[in-house]
Amino acid sequence: MSFFGFDTTLPRDRQQGGPARGFFENPDPFAEVARAQALEDDDGIDFEDTYDGLGDQLDDDQDAFNDDTFGGGDTGAAATGNVGRDFDFFGTTAKVADVIGEEQVRYALQNPSAAPLAAQQRAAAPAPATTATAATTTAKRTGYEKYSDPGYIPDLQAKSSVWGVSQKKPEPIPAASRRPMMSLEEVEAQMRQRSQAAPAMPPQSIPQHMAEQAYLPHPQYPQGVPEGFPAIPPEYLRAALEKGVLPPGMPGLPPGIPELHGGPVMSGPPPMHIQQNQLPPQTLPPQGPRHAGPPPGPRQQQQQQQMPPPPSTRGPNGGLPVITNPQQLMHLTEEQRNAYLVEDAKRAKRNHKIFLLSRGNGLMTPQDKNFITRIQLQQLVAAAGNVADADPEAVLSEDFYYQVYSQIRGAPRQHPHQPLGHFAQTYLLQTGNRLGGHGNRRAFQSADNHMQRMQQQVQRAVEAAKAKPKNKQLIIEGSLGKISFSNAKAPKHMLNIKRPDSSEGPRPKKVQSDLSLSDRKSILTNIESVYSALMAMEDMERTMPPPPEEGDSEAIQEHMEWRQKVHSLNQKLWRALKVMEPIVPNSTTPHPFIAFLSYPKGKKAIPRIFRHIDQEQRVTILTMIVVHLDSLDVVRLAQPGPGEAQPSVAVRESIDLFSLAVMPSLLGYVNEAPFNIIIGLLGLVIAQTHVQSVARTKVGLGILTMLLSRAEIVKEAGQAAERDWQQWVEKFNVLFDTLEPSLADIFPGAINTGDDMYVWQFLAAVGIGASPEQQQRLVIAVKDRVMETVGYSKTLPADMASLRLGNVNLFMRAIGLDVELLG
Amino acid sequence: MLFFSFFKTLTNQTVTIELKNDIRIRGILKSVDQYLNIKLDDIEVLDLDKYPHLSSVKSMFIRGSVVRYVMLPRSEVDVGLLEDATRRGE
Amino acid sequence: MERLSLNETAGNAPPQQPQSQQQQHRQPQQNALGPSAPTTSGPPQLPPQMFTTAAQLLDLTDTRFGPPRREETDWCVAKLGSIRYGRRKRPLQEALAYHKPRLRWRNLVANLVLQDTIERIYAGKLYADVPRGIFLVRGENVLLLGEVDLDREDDIPTTVTKAPFEEVFELKKKEDSKRKQGDKKRHSELQALGFEPEHSGEILF
Repeated sequence: MSFFGFDTTLPRDRQQGGPARGFFENPDPFAEVARAQALEDDDGIDFEDTYDGLGDQLDDDQDAFNDDTFGGGDTGAAATGNVGRDFDFFGTTAKVADVIGEEQVRYALQNPSAAPLAAQQRAAAPAPATTATAATTTAKRTGYEKYSDPGYIPDLQAKSSVWGVSQKKPEPIPAASRRPMMSLEEVEAQMRQRSQAAPAMPPQSIPQHMAEQAYLPHPQYPQGVPEGFPAIPPEYLRAALEKGVLPPGMPGLPPGIPELHGGPVMSGPPPMHIQQNQLPPQTLPPQGPRHAGPPPGPRQQQQQQQMPPPPSTRGPNGGLPVITNPQQLMHLTEEQRNAYLVEDAKRAKRNHKIFLLSRGNGLMTPQDKNFITRIQLQQLVAAAGNVADADPEAVLSEDFYYQVYSQIRGAPRQHPHQPLGHFAQTYLLQTGNRLGGHGNRRAFQSADNHMQRMQQQVQRAVEAAKAKPKNKQLIIEGSLGKISFSNAKAPKHMLNIKRPDSSEGPRPKKVQSDLSLSDRKSILTNIESVYSALMAMEDMERTMPPPPEEGDSEAIQEHMEWRQKVHSLNQKLWRALKVMEPIVPNSTTPHPFIAFLSYPKGKKAIPRIFRHIDQEQRVTILTMIVVHLDSLDVVRLAQPGPGEAQPSVAVRESIDLFSLAVMPSLLGYVNEAPFNIIIGLLGLVIAQTHVQSVARTKVGLGILTMLLSRAEIVKEAGQAAERDWQQWVEKFNVLFDTLEPSLADIFPGAINTGDDMYVWQFLAAVGIGASPEQQQRLVIAVKDRVMETVGYSKTLPADMASLRLGNVNLFMRAIGLDVELLG
Repeated sequence: MLFFSFFKTLTNQTVTIELKNDIRIRGILKSVDQYLNIKLDDIEVLDLDKYPHLSSVKSMFIRGSVVRYVMLPRSEVDVGLLEDATRRGE
Repeated sequence: MERLSLNETAGNAPPQQPQSQQQQHRQPQQNALGPSAPTTSGPPQLPPQMFTTAAQLLDLTDTRFGPPRREETDWCVAKLGSIRYGRRKRPLQEALAYHKPRLRWRNLVANLVLQDTIERIYAGKLYADVPRGIFLVRGENVLLLGEVDLDREDDIPTTVTKAPFEEVFELKKKEDSKRKQGDKKRHSELQALGFEPEHSGEILF
């Protein structure tokens, strides 16, 4: 048993072995190299296998370019030392097989004289082996002779033969035939005909085929593919087709190596070729199992995998007609021809480069890569234990950001262990419409959650594997050095700051100095503890047990425990919020909860907090805010300083955040609050705050608007008791009287500075609830602003004007008027 | 793992990477691993006159340890979520 | 990246063979990957993001792979300051898979074999190419690995001109020693503040 579970039997023990052995089934690939080369030397398969007798008909005087085509002619083949290089064509043939297939047919169809070629090939292949012992005899040449030469430097080149999967069938091309050419279309047409009549395919060569294949055990070449024929790159062939002659090889290249190496030029699958490769064994019933070709399906698939159809962008002459024969080139306009030639030159240059790079190609096949990657994955997975039932919680804690982020910005996933729905919601709620603009871009990324899970597993497996070694470094036998284990979890320390000993040394003045600094610190600590309580509650929410059924005491018990936990977390959250801290009147330090709200992340926490607290806690928070309206940063700092039109940018941002994050939560509560609470809150505003300055701020007005409109709705719905209503009107009158003198000042700056809609909303709310007399006073107080706005809107573009007028009209309609009336 | 988790969300975004030898490279982030190794596509060296070394390179793999900064598109970062992810990391 | 499924049997198992039920179940999701995902008829495969960077390096081996098609690639390995410019690169897995596969796969390092390498050194406004031959590079030493664009390769920036190696090398040596001095000073100052100097300034430059 070998490490990879390969079949370790030696080739001679495997004479009855199955079809096409993949590379990884071989225990020692280098042995395969040697064996492959031994086979090459045997000649049996190389030539006779596929020789169709056409060589006899070749013109002797057409040999001028044979050397260019076949690489050094006789010498290259006779000197066995050179074979290693000259007969290595896998890299190119793998890619041009379809073209070659066509060429092969074309050749068979049109060139009946092949005698000199045959002679040459005989020379190239020394004494044919004639018995079945060929493979078991020692290889005449091991492929390692070169190493005995002290000056030899090996070149890393692919030997296709090691894979045992070389299904290509390179075929000699008539070197310099000047016989009438068929156009590609004609060839293709004939190929189509042929492929339809496929079973009769291997024409006159069948007997030879049979004979050779029956004798020769060569597991490497299950399809009887000859090794050692030069592969002609497609570009080259195409050029030959176009010019009607095969040009001489490029100078400076080692003989025998194809000059060009391009991708398949003909698009589409090569059905012909495949069938051809498989036919000989299939049509030869008496052969041993070793000659049975692999089932056509996989083979075909494999082939396509290795030779994907070229994308259209690689078409030779974008926009230009496809040139398939030289006559066509003649018919083109000068311009087209130039463009074509330029394109051709470019392609040739590029292809030349590609060729130069291609010499080592194929050393690692796609299958090999797949295999290695799979091994890696399997080892990773194995290292992490059974990852199939990985704890989603662990995944979440490791990969929280990515998981939730792809939820929010990607398409919803149908994950079986989908734990994230409500998380995504949490963050979606937080800022409203995050989805805008990101809708589709990421959809494809999270489409396949199964895959995603796999990815996490792999990642965690890597982690687990990394966590294992306790040493900081490891010396593996035979390795060149130490392997250190500083990793993502335990990175190398880049900072090494000595901490002053706590017991001695001068401690930085901390005790008596900056009080506000420590305040700030404690506030931030509070905020963080609120967040950790929040996250704990959000986690609890996810693990909520299903509602217990009657009689299932265990489930009920479980549920009770869960509720208990939730309750204690709620208490924890509540304590962390410090809403219940006593209010110290005239204190210089703000109340902890108000301080909490003065930080952006404190504001952002409110919507999430409101989802986890009960109504009573909500009203307490609202009350806290109302009582401290004055000292709320968004109110206190919102008064523009003398000479300034509006508050600073930072304050405006903070106000916007408050309006976006906090106000909706408060409004959500107020819209359900009983009337007496509304009355109470309004009373607090009047009693506890400086109403006139509060009313000059957006947030202050917002809260007042909120209360006033709720009262109006309650009244409209007829839910207000008479006594309550009286109480409300009382409070309202006080508010109105207090505000009346400064009503003109509640607008933010001059008429042309920004948004004043919230003011009109407030005025409308006041207007609806006001008595007719109050309404009149209201109109008088803001008349100037109304007229100003109407006048100003005439100078604005239509849409902006209607917006401004609409705002004013909000108020006007509330008191039964309309801007239209103002003309 | 936070950084890994974070950078994963930036795949297929254009980022600029500053290496510890001051070369700055802009390109599309194709992938990142737990070492914060990075694969960039369609790259462009910002100060090509000064650093001609990579002029012919179109895509690259960068070892995480040589990265000094990754400059990323602001719109692709969810700050609130990132804050919570950081809290969870404790 | 060749797309894979974890369960595919090693070697060349016919892809049509019915895979596990789980995988069958996966098939439709695979198709939902979007327009960029190639439609494959084989077994369900893992998407590229499944593989982190190290595994993705396999991507960069010499052979062509399926859509989108990529040309054969040139590679250069850079030690950032001095660039080793090579024409081939291949994970060492390829070469060493024969000898010590366990080591390779356990460590997940992309060791490299570079063939036909040319070291290109830049100094001032000059550059020089030195043919270097074959390199075997331990994966952990790779700081940067770049794929050379075949077309861009010929456009050498106009700001630099080719010069004899000796000349460039001398200049380079001067530049390096100058920088090393500066680095040394900076590192000693930084270290006083608690910053551990990394690589002692040697590897990066």
